[in-house]
Amino acid sequence: MIPTTSLTAPLRAVGGFFAMALDVVVLLFKPPFAWHEFVEQSWFVARVSIVPTLMLSIPFTVLTVFTLNILLVEFGAADFSGTGTALGAVTQIGPIVTVLVVSGAGATAMCADLGARTIREELDALRVLGINPVQSLVVPRVLAATLVAAALVSLVTIVGIIGGFVFSVFVQHVTPGAFASGLTLLTGLPEVVLAVVKGALFGLAAGLIACYKGISVGGGPSGVGTAVNETVVYSFIALFVINVITTAAFVKVTM
Amino acid sequence: MIAVGIARSPAPRSRRATRNWSQVWNRAGEQTAFYCRTLVEIRIAFAQYPTEIVRLIAQMSLGTGALAVIGGTTVIVGFLTFSAGALIAVQGYNQLAGIGVEALTGFLSAYVNVRLIAPLVAGIGLAATIGAGATAQLGAQRISEEIDALEVMGIRSVAYLASTRVVAGVVVVIPLYCVAVLMSFLAARSGTTAIYGQSTGVYDHYFNTFLQPVDLIWSFLTAIAMAVSIMLVHTYYGYTASGGPAGVGEAVGRAVRSSLIVAVFVTLAISLSIYGQSGDFNLSG
Repeated sequence: MIPTTSLTAPLRAVGGFFAMALDVVVLLFKPPFAWHEFVEQSWFVARVSIVPTLMLSIPFTVLTVFTLNILLVEFGAADFSGTGTALGAVTQIGPIVTVLVVSGAGATAMCADLGARTIREELDALRVLGINPVQSLVVPRVLAATLVAAALVSLVTIVGIIGGFVFSVFVQHVTPGAFASGLTLLTGLPEVVLAVVKGALFGLAAGLIACYKGISVGGGPSGVGTAVNETVVYSFIALFVINVITTAAFVKVTM
Repeated sequence: MIAVGIARSPAPRSRRATRNWSQVWNRAGEQTAFYCRTLVEIRIAFAQYPTEIVRLIAQMSLGTGALAVIGGTTVIVGFLTFSAGALIAVQGYNQLAGIGVEALTGFLSAYVNVRLIAPLVAGIGLAATIGAGATAQLGAQRISEEIDALEVMGIRSVAYLASTRVVAGVVVVIPLYCVAVLMSFLAARSGTTAIYGQSTGVYDHYFNTFLQPVDLIWSFLTAIAMAVSIMLVHTYYGYTASGGPAGVGEAVGRAVRSSLIVAVFVTLAISLSIYGQSGDFNLSG
């Protein structure tokens, strides 16, 4: 008896997740749309993510720029450090730091909040009142995560490029003019658009996972903690996979 | 109407600002005190609670609950580094091919994987799996007053709960990091040779030429330093969780946020101090 339940439990969870995702898609186009909740959640996700974004993107870029510049100096091409910074910041660091922030900060906070409501039986109360919690709580949250993640990508990129500039020019003595002129050598509009699209996809996936874990919480305090833990792990995995796939698809399309 | 006199303190706004500021300051002090205490009591943990350390090692390496079903911490960290290593193949190979030196992808893998990707991604994986799990467990124990019960029973709660977890984290990170590094190498190699069709001889030549064993050892030390700091941050947030079930969830979220930042800063500090301004390798001969 035990083996069957331990086998079906993960399948049940996957099925439940897809059912909720489908519900979200269907209810997205069904009025009334919870505007108030949407704005409030966007502000909430942005508020918890903004400090981690800044604190993560600066060291990440410095680290990458530092490693890249060593390489470029060795090639005798230190003037191209701007090119490397832009390429790194827009195509890789922007999305990866956004992954970390969205799943580490945004999704955890969202899952903790929803999980607490589930534990306090607020969701059941909503159902009793005839309000669909997926429509009134989950749909605005998923959309808010998508919007904020797409916006975060641009913030990470800007902070990354500024950090790379400061580090290259003031620490590694690259000419500022050469740095600035090299920025757009390999990185153009398609890369920037891809980065924003990636951000939106990350936000969508992380929001769905966080909401599913949040509304399916059970088992008291340790249940909420475990749900948040699983949210982080699953969204990391999902987001890394999305990143590799979109990068590969983009490279295939453009090259 | 009766005029109600409310006793107002002079300058309420500046008072509130001072109070907030001093709270932040106090919290930093409390955290430092907790970290020092945890590190000092590692000695006690080894002397008095060795079985707890062994139990935690087993639990951390395999994971608990639903995470164990998909293979536990090892599989998750291996998977994360695999997909990060695959990025090297996808992005690195194509960019290098753009300037006609795609033969150097092996070099890129030996250089970037060891110095950047493996430590960072493994640290992130640790924070997400073991770290967040520890916060969730400790937070739940704090909320259900089990930690107070431990104190009443005469067990040193910091040594028993926090120090043992730090030790177990360090022990677990060593094999875990081996898996992480191997997976990132494997992903870059198979992506470059099997998918993009570079000959394995070319790849292996540049890879073996530029893979420095010393770098790998430093990279290991980075991973261990990161494991210690991540476990400290996560046990602190779990140990001091408050506010019912919702509080545990919030504590896990806050712990993940802080430990990600700490992990990245540790990597930055260590790699800047180890590798310095020079790359420590000779590409042009």
